[in-house]
Amino acid sequence: MSRLTLGLALVAAVLFALSAIVGTAAVPVSDALAALAGQGDERVQAIVWELRLPRAVAAFAVGAALGLAGAALQGLLQNPLAEPGVLGVSAFSALGAVVAIFFGFAAVNSFAVPVAAILGASVATLLLVFAAIRGAGSVTLLLIGIGLSSFAGALMSLALNMAPNPYSLADLVNWMMGSVANRSWADILLGAPGWVIGAALVFLAGPGLRALSFGDETARSLGADPARIRLLVIGGTSLLAGASVATAGTIGFVGIVAPHVIRPFVRHDPQRLLIPSALLAGIILMAADIAIRVLPFQQELKLGVAAALVGGPVFIWIAARLGRASA
Amino acid sequence: MISAEHLTVTLNGQEVARDVSFWLNDGEMAALVGPNGAGKSSVLKALAGVTPSAGEVRIGGYPADKLTVRERARHLAWLPQTRPVAWNLVVEDVVALGRFAQAPAPFDRMGQADRAAVCEALDKADAAHLSGRPFQALSGGEQARVHLARLLASPAPVLLLDEPCAALDVAHQLDLMRALAAEAAAGRTLLIVLHDLELAARFCPRILVMQAGALVADGAPEAALSAGTLADVFGVRKNADGRLERANR
Repeated sequence: MSRLTLGLALVAAVLFALSAIVGTAAVPVSDALAALAGQGDERVQAIVWELRLPRAVAAFAVGAALGLAGAALQGLLQNPLAEPGVLGVSAFSALGAVVAIFFGFAAVNSFAVPVAAILGASVATLLLVFAAIRGAGSVTLLLIGIGLSSFAGALMSLALNMAPNPYSLADLVNWMMGSVANRSWADILLGAPGWVIGAALVFLAGPGLRALSFGDETARSLGADPARIRLLVIGGTSLLAGASVATAGTIGFVGIVAPHVIRPFVRHDPQRLLIPSALLAGIILMAADIAIRVLPFQQELKLGVAAALVGGPVFIWIAARLGRASA
Repeated sequence: MISAEHLTVTLNGQEVARDVSFWLNDGEMAALVGPNGAGKSSVLKALAGVTPSAGEVRIGGYPADKLTVRERARHLAWLPQTRPVAWNLVVEDVVALGRFAQAPAPFDRMGQADRAAVCEALDKADAAHLSGRPFQALSGGEQARVHLARLLASPAPVLLLDEPCAALDVAHQLDLMRALAAEAAAGRTLLIVLHDLELAARFCPRILVMQAGALVADGAPEAALSAGTLADVFGVRKNADGRLERANR
């Protein structure tokens, strides 16, 4: 394990402890820490173990999955602006989740939401990769992403209109803004298979992503099969993004920011980018979630909104720098 | 050893290489020459297995279409004409990719032997002093040498090079050809697309000439680059000083 990975893992551990301490309920720090160790007041233990920790784990897992998916998609498309949120993958995933909920599939089987979210994500990813194979450049892919996001938004409204038993608009807004508030261990267990299998697929593609830096043809001549790499990354990122959206709704930009920050520290190697990007994105989302719990707003700020408030400007900054480099 | 039999490459419905047959033995170093658009790069790509083709390619005696992508990479390495590098990788990691089929790891996670091979290849390509540098900060010629090192780092017995001299200064072109001759002397088979006919004739004991998708001459430099071929294929002739000049047609 590299020093970078170790350092990030330590920061994540500290944030987990901090998550146990911080929250709306007034719990003294010493009591919260005792509860974390499984001691003290049972009520405090319940707050820490059933409310705060699952929320922190959800934030970390969603962030890490999006960071990993972002790093893998960037390697596959050779584009530093690629990320499930920007490319419309998350929006399509949310569409899948919304359809599963509003048409009653979720009531039949609790895995319906994650499965539908993963299917939605894979539709968008397949479209993007198809466009990339046909020679679409960075700008085209981003434009397709914008189109996919808007289209998914429209389809979600349509789904709401047509749903036999529509929930309130507030539910839809929740899906589109993203949040990990009130998530339980059960929610995390629903997302876990997608995260674990998705991460495994992406890691299998890791060495191939480095070979792909030379383009499809040369990668193939080196012994890395581009079709296999694409399949692994499409499958992996769809599972990662789908499970994340099913858990927390759409949260954008973390998947761009984390790899961008990490890249210089891993010699710009698309494979070595994967784990540290996942850790950093998990840290960012966990820190953001702690921050919105502390911020003195009457209504709690949505995590997706907080992520976009920071990530949006960073995205524009990276895009502007890229534009200058290619001009 | 590599051979092509009735190799035909079709691009967008057009035959860019037609019924090309030849055989290169172990230790043989051949130049593939011809005017622009003659089909040289397409033949190399077909041999490398990165473009579909009809006919039969045999590498080391095996039918190439029976080999997996990785097996083929163990037998054959290809230096393409255009060499994009998407990320600002460090030089050693670019060269280490030459051994991907054996050791798909970045340089500092490779085993001792693989790392030694990478360093040796950097040395041969006169690029050892570039190690540790970010690739995109290098000049065009330096990048070309790092790509060459990437090719030489491969243990494959067959090397295909598409215009390896492009972007190199004269001294480095000569160094490059000498380095390639040394690889042939060590038993590797080399097929090199070249535009400089004099360089080809000087360093390559065998020359294959392509014109409009067909192989029109194959042999020692004097025979393959006869006055007739020079005039018919390239539209040039040798003047009294032995220099090439445009032939009047």
